[in-house]
Parts: sequence; C-alpha cells; structure tokens
Amino acid sequence: MNTRIAKKLEYYSLNTLTWVIVAVVVFPIFWMVKVSLHTNGEILQGITSMAIPEPQWLNYKNLWETINFGQYFKNSLLICTATMLISCFLAILAGYALARYRFPGSGLFGISVIGTQMIPGIMFLLPIYLLFLNIKDTLGLPMVDTYWGMVLVYSAFYTPMSIWIIRSFFVSIPKDLEESARIDGCNRIQAFVRIILPLSLPGIIAMCVYIFLTAWDELMFAWVLTTTPEVQTIPVGIRLFVGQYTNRYDLLMSAATVVTLPVIITFFLSQKYFISGMTAGAVKG
Amino acid sequence: MEISRNPDTPEVRKPFGARFKKGFREYRVAYLFILPTFLFMMLVHVLPMIQGIVMSFLKLNQFTLSQYLKAPFIGLKNYSELLFNENNPVRQGLGYALRNTAIYSVVVTISVMIIGLLVAILLNRDFPGRGIARAAMLLPWVVPSYVVGVLWGFMWQKEGIINYILVDILHLMSDKPFWLIGQNTIWAIIIPTVWRSWPFIMIVFLAGLQTIPDDLYEAAKIDGAGRLRQFFTITLPMLKPIIAVQLLFQIINNVYSYNIVAMMFGNGSGYPGKWGDLLMTALTRQTFGYWSFGVGAAASFLLMGAMLIIVGIWYRIFRSELRVD
Repeated sequence: MNTRIAKKLEYYSLNTLTWVIVAVVVFPIFWMVKVSLHTNGEILQGITSMAIPEPQWLNYKNLWETINFGQYFKNSLLICTATMLISCFLAILAGYALARYRFPGSGLFGISVIGTQMIPGIMFLLPIYLLFLNIKDTLGLPMVDTYWGMVLVYSAFYTPMSIWIIRSFFVSIPKDLEESARIDGCNRIQAFVRIILPLSLPGIIAMCVYIFLTAWDELMFAWVLTTTPEVQTIPVGIRLFVGQYTNRYDLLMSAATVVTLPVIITFFLSQKYFISGMTAGAVKG
Repeated sequence: MEISRNPDTPEVRKPFGARFKKGFREYRVAYLFILPTFLFMMLVHVLPMIQGIVMSFLKLNQFTLSQYLKAPFIGLKNYSELLFNENNPVRQGLGYALRNTAIYSVVVTISVMIIGLLVAILLNRDFPGRGIARAAMLLPWVVPSYVVGVLWGFMWQKEGIINYILVDILHLMSDKPFWLIGQNTIWAIIIPTVWRSWPFIMIVFLAGLQTIPDDLYEAAKIDGAGRLRQFFTITLPMLKPIIAVQLLFQIINNVYSYNIVAMMFGNGSGYPGKWGDLLMTALTRQTFGYWSFGVGAAASFLLMGAMLIIVGIWYRIFRSELRVD
C-alpha cells in the first residue's frame, strides 16, 4: 500500500517538475513577445508599469516603416532559400554516392567532409574576404556585397553537415529496392529518382529545414561580406539597429519576434520529419 | 635466390594508376555525384584555407592589402608577434578571451550534456501532454542565436526581468547585481548558450533512450539493481556512442561560439569586457579593427591547430565507441 502511494507521489512530482522546466525554458520567449507589445515608455519605466495588458501592435507597423526591415527580411529569405536549394541538391548527390558506393577515395572524402566542421570560421573569413576583393580587382566581378557571393559561401558551408544527415537516410533504404527497380527496366538514375528520392523525402525535408535555419542564423560572414542594405541579412540589420538606436527595446523586441516566428512555425510544421531526421544520424553514430 | 613470379596470380597489386582507372570506370556515377561538392569544397574550403596559411606568413595590413598575396614575406614574424609581443594590437585582451573561451566551453558543454540527459530521462515516461512538453522544450533551440544575444542582453539589465525575479520576487539577493559588467559577465554569456543548446542534446538522448531494449532493465531489476545502479550500468554505457559524438560537436560549437556574445554587448558592436570576450569575437574585432590580416591569419591557424589537438584527444578517448559502417 505504501509503495503505491509513493509511486503515485513520484509520478505526480515528476510531472510537476517537467512542467516547471517547460515554464522556465519558455519564459524568455514569452517575455520577448510581451515586451514587443508595449510602448517604449512603458518598457523604460520598468517592470511594474508593464503589467498593463494593452497590446501595442504599432511596434510591428513601425518596424517595417522606420528601419527598412522589409528589405533585410527579403534579403535573408532570398539568400537562405537559394542556399537551401543548392546545398540540398549537392548533398543529395554526394550523400547518395557515399551511402551506396565504396569507391577509391570515398573514405578520404567522407573524413574531409566532416573535417571541414573543425575549421574555425575566421580561418575562411579573412581569405574569402580578400579573395572576393581580389576577384573584383582582377576580373571586375563584384563578389563582396552580392547575393551570389553570400549564396556561394553559405551553400559550401552547409553542404558537409547536410551530406551526413541525408547519407544516414540513404543507408537505411534497402539496396534490394533499387535492384528490383533496375530489373524492371529502370536505369541507375531513374531508380534513384523514382525509388530512392520519394522514400527519403522525410530526410530531405529535415535537411532542408536544417540548412535554412542555419543560414538564417549566420552573422559573422554576413557582417563582413555585405556592406549595403540591399544585400544585408536580418542578423546584420538587427546588429546595426542595436548600434544605432540605443534603448529602442520596443522595436528591437518586435524585430526579434518577427524573425523568430517564421522559424518556430517552420519548425512546428516540419517537426515530425525534422526531429527524426536530425536524430537519426546522431543516434546511429 | 630468385623467386619465380607467376604472372597469373590475381593477388599482384596493380599500380595505383591502373587501380584508379578501373575504379573510375566502375564508380563513374559516384564520382559524378560527388564532383560538384568536391569543386565547391575546393573553392570555398581548401583554397581559402591554403590562402589563409600563406597569409599568416605575409606582412598583410592596410598598406599592403592591395598587393594581396604578393605582400612581403616575413616568415614567422606574425606568429612571434602574436605569441610574444604584448604590445601588438591584435594581442590586446586575447589572453582574457582565451581564458573565457576555456571556461565557457567547459561549463557549457558539461551543463548541456547533464541537463540534456536528465530531462531526456524525465521525458522518457508516460504522462499526459508529453508531446506538448517536448515540443515546448525544443523552442529555444530554434530561436536564432543573434536573437538569443539581444533578448538575454535585454533581460540581464540591472532593472531587467532577471534581477526583478531574483531580487523582488524570490528575494535571493539583497541588491540587484550588474550582469553585463565585471565578473558576472561570464555567467551572462554561459546561461543563454546553455538555454539554447540543451534542447538538441535532450532530443538526441531521448531518441537514444528509446533504442535501449526494456529487457535490459527487466533483467537488472530481477538481479536486484536499484535505479541508480541501472542508470550507471545500462543507460550510460548504452548512450556512450551518442555522448561521444555530441561531446565533440558541443566542444567545436562552443570554442567557435560567436553570435550570442557579438550581439549581447555594447549595443552590438562594443567590447564585451574582460569576462565576456571570447576568442572568435576578439579575433574578428581586432583583425578587422586594425586591418591586421597577417596576424589574424596566424591566430586562426593556431586556433585550428589547437582544435585538431582537442579532436585528437577526443578520438583517443572515444575510439572504441565509434562505429564505422
């Protein structure tokens, strides 16, 4: 009898603990949204004046009108989408080759793909910056402060991890499927496109979301490689904004909310695939 | 003594060129598939890295920048400046940054692993609303890291919400401390990083926990092993491969951490102070601030070398856990 009560007690206290953790973890995000709905006067007066539950949607309107947020948003969207498409294409090809063939050099290629993750960003940042400047000097092709310069750098950076995510998916698809498709008269490419790609769609979605989120989050290269608002991405815009308007926390928090929302929505829509895709490779080792 | 060789033995290794040729014909599709990635990596990874190593031997500053790789060769001078000349502008505060990066990486990595594992165990039970709890806990992980920097920078303010909770609601301290000035800064950068990083570790551990067969626990129970015993003899060993991989990625991410600190201090572009600066923020700020690209390249190269040593140590420790398929 006593053990049953103890068990019940344990069950409920662990549940309570879980929800307390959820509350603590989610609180900063809640706070960000709440602050974004107040006027700057209320925010600067301090916490107590912020109890007034009267949302100020004005901040969100001001955001697009005063600090040209729409342009940054568009730049980020364009650069991240292009990066996602290119990286996804490259990673599918390379991941498939690594999963299906043991060709001479496959080991070395696999290791160097992972090895790229161990190199600090700044190791590339200086040379790429100078290389880009030099390309403009010698070839007349502008690279710094262009969409294609950013997309080139980003797609190369996020392809390696994507290869590893998608490779573990390809490995888990039985080889027999392809072989029977080839007996039925498909050639290699057809078997790949008609059998393998549809089966690994969850993995491809996970990979695409991963690439998009990582590119959406990149600051250091964007900070150095873009110089005008026509190309600058959201993180750069927010950093510039913080430097220019001290104490405009109303606008800052609404900007933070606006850039976080699409990410959270994407995450929830793709959650099923994304979590299994991101953990599949990690669990298999 | 002459050993007569049988020309028909199949074991005779053909010269590399021939093997490669044969391999190439056999695996033409595979080579075709990795070719674009290979070219991309050559252009954006290998070429800049070689260039970076070359740059670390050149006198590359605002005067010689236009000469690019034809800038004067000065051998190891950049390295000796970095290591021994305390007056070099790039060196300023680098010692603090190194110390902070060490503390930051160790504390964040360990906390993230422990919190991630404990909460994963907590979520690996049946209770109403489990899916919602899991999804809610994952939220910080998808918040962009520059938002994390801005948001926590705002919350850490002296009259901010954190001090309000700590002092006015919980009465844990008598005075409101400064979080963004002085020694507290190291906590002001560690805690947001942990907040953003632990959910991913948790979800990976959770997936790992679900692969452990229940029979193992049943058998242990029959043998009379308590909960703690089960954790140390079953759960931990079964999760070891995951721990190994996540540990490596955590170390790499934390040593190269940039966004959160870069966004939190001095309105986004200032100096985070003696206790808030990290290697990446310090190096980026100093190199571009003083146009000291040669010394910056030398520092990056040394940092990469240090990382290779860390990875080497990691590999020696966890070699047996890594399954190669």
